[in-house]
Amino acid sequence: MTAYIIRRLLFLIFVLFGVSVLIFGLLMTFSPERRAAVYVTTPQQAKDIPKLVKQYGLNDPVPIQYARWVKEVASGNLGWSLVAARPVAKAFWSYFPTTLELNLLASPLVIIVGIWLGTLAGVHRDTWIDHGTRIGAIVGWSLPTFLFALVLLMIFYGYYGLFPPGIISSDTSLWVINNPDKFTRYTGMYTIDGILNGHLWVTWDALNHLVLPVLTQVIVVVALLMRVMRSGMLEELSRDYVITAKAKGADAHTINIKHARKNALIPVITVAGQLVALSMEGSIAVEVVFSRQGMGWWLAHSATQLDMPVLMSVCMFIGVVFVLSNLIIDIMYAYIDPRIQLQ
Amino acid sequence: MAKLLETKNLVTNFYTYEGSVKALDNVSISIDHGETFGLVGESGCGKSVTVRSVMRIIQSPGVIEGGEVLYCDDAEHPEQCEDLLIKSEEAMRELRGDRISMIFQEPNAALNPVLTIGEQVAESYMFHRQRSMSRQILADVESGKISFGIFSPLLKWAYRRASENPRAPALRLMSKLPLLKLWGRPMRREAVNRSVGIIERLGISNAAELVTRYPHNLSGGMKQRIVIAIALACNPTLLIADEATSNLDVTIQAQILELLQDLKERRAISSVLLITHDLGVVAETCDRVGVMYAGILCEVADVKTLFNNPVHPYTRALLNSVPRFCVEGELATIEGSVPNLVHPPAGCRFHPRCKAASDICKQEKPKLVDLGNGHSVACHHIDEKIGE
Repeated sequence: MTAYIIRRLLFLIFVLFGVSVLIFGLLMTFSPERRAAVYVTTPQQAKDIPKLVKQYGLNDPVPIQYARWVKEVASGNLGWSLVAARPVAKAFWSYFPTTLELNLLASPLVIIVGIWLGTLAGVHRDTWIDHGTRIGAIVGWSLPTFLFALVLLMIFYGYYGLFPPGIISSDTSLWVINNPDKFTRYTGMYTIDGILNGHLWVTWDALNHLVLPVLTQVIVVVALLMRVMRSGMLEELSRDYVITAKAKGADAHTINIKHARKNALIPVITVAGQLVALSMEGSIAVEVVFSRQGMGWWLAHSATQLDMPVLMSVCMFIGVVFVLSNLIIDIMYAYIDPRIQLQ
Repeated sequence: MAKLLETKNLVTNFYTYEGSVKALDNVSISIDHGETFGLVGESGCGKSVTVRSVMRIIQSPGVIEGGEVLYCDDAEHPEQCEDLLIKSEEAMRELRGDRISMIFQEPNAALNPVLTIGEQVAESYMFHRQRSMSRQILADVESGKISFGIFSPLLKWAYRRASENPRAPALRLMSKLPLLKLWGRPMRREAVNRSVGIIERLGISNAAELVTRYPHNLSGGMKQRIVIAIALACNPTLLIADEATSNLDVTIQAQILELLQDLKERRAISSVLLITHDLGVVAETCDRVGVMYAGILCEVADVKTLFNNPVHPYTRALLNSVPRFCVEGELATIEGSVPNLVHPPAGCRFHPRCKAASDICKQEKPKLVDLGNGHSVACHHIDEKIGE
């Protein structure tokens, strides 16, 4: 088991190398002048572009530029983010908690609701429960996320003034900034920091802002997970061991939960793991519509402004998340499926 | 002998996209207490559907459309029969695995891959033997064999309740609450202990270690024995063996048939309903035999009559197609193939393949006619066939 984990972590190095070469190569297709121009803000500075190109060696051969970048990254310097106006590493720690906060609430909900609804739909096949969840899934999956988010925002915030967008209300945010002695940002997540500092009203305020983003995320992601769970349940319920259990005298609950669901969960773990990993880099639509400055928001703005250090770092981060999530999925597999042994 | 199980005009259909498959057409068989009844026929002739209809474990899209399944548990009071088809699902659950149980043909598929062997065998006891297990645990506690420390009063109360009524609301509530639900643990341990016992009785020496393993750790023959252990756990009155030996090699097959015979002699089980397509197994083990073809019952007779004096053309053809050492020349086969049961042939379902078929066979369904001595045949040409 340990050997397996170590082997998979070594594999991470290759993944990171591959991802970085790919993104680096992609960015190298822009001309050196174009890349330098990103850092120029006034017309007067435009004449400095050739100087910048020369100063930062943007005309050097690509491998040399890549080697230079790797050296800097290895020493902990991920570059400067224009969008955040901060070093990338520092900016990461201010954006990532926002995304993490959303996912800490949304992911368990997605998994629980998805598995529960999928099981229900599979057990009550072709009844109104099945049809209802199917319609819900089609709507949730086919409507664009941003549209869904906008509709929710319009209904709840627009008409009723509930659940405002943003991360936290401006009053609270001001109070937090003005009272650093009373409120320490341990995690960067207002909900958790509120509890840790004993100011539950901050947590309450942050939760109010989280309702709609979490709801959007859950509805969109649950739709897929639920369908996978349903088809898994249907497949398992038609297996022979279900008849064996029935012939033993098992009741419907034992058959559905103890026998069929345990088997149906195996493929669902993969999908659920991937979905959670995917949402860790932030849903762009959710974060932009609800103006939450998280990973997705950062990535979207960096991409439009050609903020190259950010694009590189975020892509590397995505690579790390995917390798780690696959590793966790594999370990969970070994726990739930006795036929699998990691070696 | 007293009757144990009788199906009367059992009709089961499967509603598929191509149309309704008429899998069983008025099947009537009867099995006595202490009897081994063999059900033979080609694949897809409705043997499995018959026994699954008896236990009411037909899977969707199958529906039992009509008929009766009379079950008489008490040999002394043959008048106290109950129709299984009109019993409530809950009452059926109590019957399945306890009074009637089934051995399945595909041991690889019949066991749940993610549950341990112990857990799967123990389920039989957990479904049907909670009362007696609770009584035993209570007795063990009182005699000081096992002790629960400070939880003793609580657990004693729980098991006293469980020995009266294992489904008492209070116990069901307890099973749902955190920590308190641990009350059932000693019972589960007892169920696994009993599982070890039954597996050992099937001639497996390392049963205590086996119950912690998963199905994929076991060989095919071993798995088949586990499937048998599940069926035998509660000493059923009727054991249905659905092709129990078909996928095993000959030596294990013989062992398992011997085992069934032995269990019958020791009165662990009363009657056996053996489904097979192997006529050798039938001749070896059965008292009476029913021959099925395309969802109908063609002929029923005791095993000697059937082999020595078969009447139905299908039975004759079936017996002729068994390879023999002493006969030279090409093996006899039955022309044609099994009909599509969405549109079964009108009249006698065997007529397209029958050499003796006449006009009446194409129009009218033959009725099962009793020839005496428990020998019945469904054929329009009985008179010509007898004594041939």
